Amino acid sequence: MSALTSAVRTPEEAAKVFRTLDFIALGAFFMILLASHHVHVMLLMGDWDFWVDWKDRRFWVTVVPIVSVAYPAAAQAFFWEKFRLPFGATLVTLGVLAGEWANRYFNFVGFTYFPINFVWPTILLPMALFLDAMLAISKSYGLTAVVGGLMYGLLMYPANWPLLSAFHVPAEYNGVVMSLADIMGYQYVRTGTPEYIRMVEKGTLKTFGKDVVPVSAFFSGFVAMVMYFVWHFVGRWFSKDYHINQL
Amino acid sequence: MAATSRAVAQGVAEKETADLFAWRGMWLAVAAFFAFYICVRWYEGVYGWKYGLDAFSPEFQTYWMNLLYIELVVEALATAALVSYLIKTRDRNMEAMTPREELRRYCTLYMWWVVYGVGLFWGASFFTEQDGAWHQTVVRDTDFTPSHIIEFYMSYPIYVMVGLGSFTYAKTRIPYFAKGWSVPYLMLVFGPFMIFPNVGLNEWGHTFWFMEELFVAPLHWGFVFFAWFILAVFGVFLQVQPRMKELIGRELQQSEDYARS
Repeated sequence: MSALTSAVRTPEEAAKVFRTLDFIALGAFFMILLASHHVHVMLLMGDWDFWVDWKDRRFWVTVVPIVSVAYPAAAQAFFWEKFRLPFGATLVTLGVLAGEWANRYFNFVGFTYFPINFVWPTILLPMALFLDAMLAISKSYGLTAVVGGLMYGLLMYPANWPLLSAFHVPAEYNGVVMSLADIMGYQYVRTGTPEYIRMVEKGTLKTFGKDVVPVSAFFSGFVAMVMYFVWHFVGRWFSKDYHINQL
Repeated sequence: MAATSRAVAQGVAEKETADLFAWRGMWLAVAAFFAFYICVRWYEGVYGWKYGLDAFSPEFQTYWMNLLYIELVVEALATAALVSYLIKTRDRNMEAMTPREELRRYCTLYMWWVVYGVGLFWGASFFTEQDGAWHQTVVRDTDFTPSHIIEFYMSYPIYVMVGLGSFTYAKTRIPYFAKGWSVPYLMLVFGPFMIFPNVGLNEWGHTFWFMEELFVAPLHWGFVFFAWFILAVFGVFLQVQPRMKELIGRELQQSEDYARS
């Protein structure tokens, strides 16, 4: 029709419509990205995230930041580049945490009766906030990849330690030294993941024992830099507006 | 009053009284999703434990296998009905559309995305990770466990239905999408759709490679690959922005003119 007629009648209405659509879009983005991110996270790092006796010093520390930095990087490529909104990483992280908590509480606890302090999810928010702040302050994806990516790996264990430490108190259990986390894994029976499935640090003859966490975290940060770099481009690619004429 | 005279001055004469935002439809759909899935979760909580533990018992047939057959038929019919309804009632004369009507349809499209998001949350997030909890509770004796009957064969087809519905809505009512095919929108709908056929790979793998339910097992990574395509919501959103700006933005621009004069 006439290109001259406007769809809204007043500037006030224009502002109101824009604002209303912002809220609807935010809701849509939150739910849609929540689901997508949750599938990614649960099937690439889920087992370490489900159980407190999987939250070890070597595998959990390495895998979780590497896997969970992907969506924040993709979301930042969209929200910051296109709209200068500095909450891409936080938005998707809040989403996945909401999905995880809903599931742990209503299913792991409410359906199959595992205690919540056995199945709480990994704390990811401090890293997401750091990533967003890094990008907003530096305005550089390169710096965010290097500094933010490294910090994403380094921060994971410290951010979770206040919650996790209580489960690492040692106990003598039937004559064996076990952590409380180990005892919980032993007590609350899981049929699907018997003990030999559990991928946790066991020590080797070619490694030192005591500084496993910082070394793993540093390695994780290094890989997270690369992941950030790659997934930033993934986010950009998914932001393209291709059209085809024929299916 | 000032607002009215300004509008008249711009020649906005069309008498359109309908609301831009179909709030009722959106909230009803969201509420229906939550109410329905809360009931499903209750059913599962009661009958999963009561009759869902032994797939070879007659009760399992009654309470679970029948649910599977019914839901598959209902979903297929509902999807066909929804898509054909939207095609049948398509706008056959888009040229005659007023800008306000076009804007209204974009507002409705945004609401479709919210409902799609709610469907995806229940399907891809809630019931998918829930399966993890059930796997730790039974050593399964069938591919069709109570949790799978809900997760794979109920919650996935339902979000696929909403995705297809939103796509068909855009294709049949919004000029921008009516012309050609939007690749991001195809990815946004058919990526999650492919998660459903991928169940075939998953269950096939489980038939001869009996493994404990390690969630991070490579056999499950097909789901992850297809879930990535949901990120195409970025592209879809950016595709509609220029037109939204044309439809609404001009007024804001005029607002500044007003301030200057």
